[in-house]
Amino acid sequence: MNSDTKRAKWKLNRNIIDGLIFFIILGLLWEYAVKLFGIKSYLLPPLSDIFAAMWTARVQLVEHSLVTLEEVIFGFGTATIAGVAMAVVIYFVPLAKRTIYPLMIALQSIPKIGLAPVIVIWFGYGLSSKVIMAFLFAFFPIIIAVMGGLSGTPQHLEEHFRALKASAWDTFWYLRVPSVLPSFVDGCKVAMPLAVIGAIVGEFVGSNEGLGNLILMATGSSQTALTFGALFAVTILSLSLFYIIELAGKLVWWRAH
Amino acid sequence: MENSKQIDAPTITINGVSKIYPGKDGAEGVKALEDVTTNIKDCEFVSIIGPSGCGKSTLLKVLAGLIPYEAGDVTICDKVIEGTLDEVGVVFQTPNLLPWLTIGKNLSLGAEMRGFKSKEIKPDIEAMVKVMSLDGFEDRYPHELSGGMQQRVSIGQALLYKPQVLLMDEPFGALDALTRDRLNMELLRIWQAEKKTVVLITHSIAEAVLLSDRVIVMSERPACILEEIIIDLPRPRDPRATREMSKFGDYVVRLGALMGVV
Repeated sequence: MNSDTKRAKWKLNRNIIDGLIFFIILGLLWEYAVKLFGIKSYLLPPLSDIFAAMWTARVQLVEHSLVTLEEVIFGFGTATIAGVAMAVVIYFVPLAKRTIYPLMIALQSIPKIGLAPVIVIWFGYGLSSKVIMAFLFAFFPIIIAVMGGLSGTPQHLEEHFRALKASAWDTFWYLRVPSVLPSFVDGCKVAMPLAVIGAIVGEFVGSNEGLGNLILMATGSSQTALTFGALFAVTILSLSLFYIIELAGKLVWWRAH
Repeated sequence: MENSKQIDAPTITINGVSKIYPGKDGAEGVKALEDVTTNIKDCEFVSIIGPSGCGKSTLLKVLAGLIPYEAGDVTICDKVIEGTLDEVGVVFQTPNLLPWLTIGKNLSLGAEMRGFKSKEIKPDIEAMVKVMSLDGFEDRYPHELSGGMQQRVSIGQALLYKPQVLLMDEPFGALDALTRDRLNMELLRIWQAEKKTVVLITHSIAEAVLLSDRVIVMSERPACILEEIIIDLPRPRDPRATREMSKFGDYVVRLGALMGVV
């Protein structure tokens, strides 16, 4: 092993170790600050209580997480497909740019949290209303990212493709799609945590299951430790999904310039 | 007379071509070319020089079918230009490689877009890799190559779809002198071996004299042809030996005077 890879490996370890130490110190501060200042545990339980509550409710936590996960995946998935399709239409059809695009912006300006009760009335307490909420939160960043990517296709490459006599399909497939991919990945990174928020909001407004539902139930019955446990579960879910996108995004390493 | 005309039938005819870039919101446009007329023979190597921003690139883009022109007419191989013609290959100032494709794929990109079967051109690609000294780089990506190597890939890409006319817009402008010399030689060798018509835009007077049969000097904008000078130097031309000839110096001085740099 040469010294460069050794150094790189050490640097990677440093990144992980530094972060780990930081979070451990933060956790210890939480644990002992709560005890030191005598904060009542229904207001802010010590970290150890939260972990204990999470362990006790582990089956429940996993079940609710899976419900929320399902809502997020469907919501994010449909938002991705619809967002890409919509962006392509808006970009390539001038009429759509004059009509549909302003409509999209208007819809984006409606506070989606305010829409949640209506969505639940329309689509019921089940999966579909949460999927729609996740969709609504994730849809717009994808459209914006893809449109930005499309208009960011370098002009000198477009000209080069014309000189190569590339067909419209070849230009789309070999030039536009790869130039859009990096911004698309960025858009997904923004949209994924938003989809989680959307699903949780949907669950808050009306549901029988899911982590949002669990948060409400736990708070209602003064199980503050479990509330925090459910919040941790939401965070872990959101972070995991984000890192999956980040990892998948590493396949798109280039930037068109 | 009739007979000789047929033999010397030009590959490219440019007849009274003018080009105006329209201004915004009815403002007066910018005249880039004015009444440009010249013919370029089959297998001729012609360089176009002129002050920067004069419109030489505009002329090349007109020949490449990339932009429309307002007046006059242009034919290449007896065809009126409508988009880029099959007979025409273009090499730009920037290599324009796709960052997400390997060197091998970038090389074959043009040929594949123009309908060559990838099986058919495989031996050509292998040969081109050798000619352009890209051995061992087929699976690398453009950002891993130096500017000179990237430009070699770009030239290779254009040669692979076998255009009869090669249009080059300052292809060596961004390269260091040594790399430039080497690519100049490579270009001359290919031109002689493959019998192509080359139109080269350059801002290097020495490069123009070294490579060309004829140098066209263009004026400030709107560009028109100031002068055409036949370069009567023996071929094949070795850069060092050619530059030492007194005639070479004479041509450089004469062209420099025309461009007002001496």
